[in-house]
Amino acid sequence: MENFRKVRSEEAPAGGGAEGDGPGSGPFADLAPDAVNMRVKEGSKIRNLMAFATASMAQPATRAIVFSGCGRATTKTVTCAEILKRRLAGLHQVTRLRYRSVREVWQSLPPGPTPGQTPGESAASLSVLKNVPGLAILLSKDELDPRQPGYQPPNPHPGPSSSPAAPTSKRSLGEPAAGEGSAKRSLPEPGVADEDRTA
Amino acid sequence: MAENREPRGVVEAELDPVEYTLRKRLPHRLPRRPNDIYVNMKTDFKAQLARCQKLLDGGTRGQNACTEIYIHGLGLAINRAINIALQLQAGSFGSLQVAANTSTVELVDELEPETDTREPLTRIRNNSAIHIRVFRVTPK
Repeated sequence: MENFRKVRSEEAPAGGGAEGDGPGSGPFADLAPDAVNMRVKEGSKIRNLMAFATASMAQPATRAIVFSGCGRATTKTVTCAEILKRRLAGLHQVTRLRYRSVREVWQSLPPGPTPGQTPGESAASLSVLKNVPGLAILLSKDELDPRQPGYQPPNPHPGPSSSPAAPTSKRSLGEPAAGEGSAKRSLPEPGVADEDRTA
Repeated sequence: MAENREPRGVVEAELDPVEYTLRKRLPHRLPRRPNDIYVNMKTDFKAQLARCQKLLDGGTRGQNACTEIYIHGLGLAINRAINIALQLQAGSFGSLQVAANTSTVELVDELEPETDTREPLTRIRNNSAIHIRVFRVTPK
């Protein structure tokens, strides 16, 4: 593939045609049609995304925000949502998983030193269709239906430092000795514990 | 990643043995549940998918089938976990539903300066994790 360069790429829901950007579109059109849609791409900078997202959510008129990403941007999408949840407490979350088909068009680079011929004559073109997993995360200031699949209630935890009390003391025996003083051990998000109750 | 680094006065040859404080420690709910699957990037994808499928289907006569399984993925394995969950759902003819939750997991790196081995520095970073619940529903 080193002789090719990517010309364009298009993303669409798998198994469906490309959806236009009309009213009623968006991954959470049924729950929050007015949500700000943040499309996370592979090269997006988290700093820029978070600046825009926090500014949008600071306005009381914005009730919900959606982060959507697929393929290599999936982890970044989750990270953005988690950072926003940490900054802004009391957000309800719904996560939806989906496949996206990405069509990439690659064109071969002309091999000679002087590409004097008209490009397109000798340029071979390759179209690649990939089915990649992705997700869309809705964060809403208003309450959402807890029976929705993928619902996660807001984190009840008030402060950043959680108490590493009883649950972790059991496990400390299995811990290697080094780093025990400085390692900040905390539960992997009480949100996960909440899942137990709502499941 | 660079934000967590502490200012170094001493020259650190960072051997950087990466230590997951949560590596051997599964989330507190796991011990009582055999239907938790942790996805990683080392094991073959097909093998992980087959293992999840087997948990949901049970033995030849359907014994020991779990009505629901939890698939967990950390960092890069988030993609793989989503893939497994969606593949299971696609192959189930509508009898499986998925629900995903996300969380943040703290990882601890240990840095040992070459000069003074008595000084392990610890660096803490956060990583994203996903927990996907795949469960059987009665088709309406």
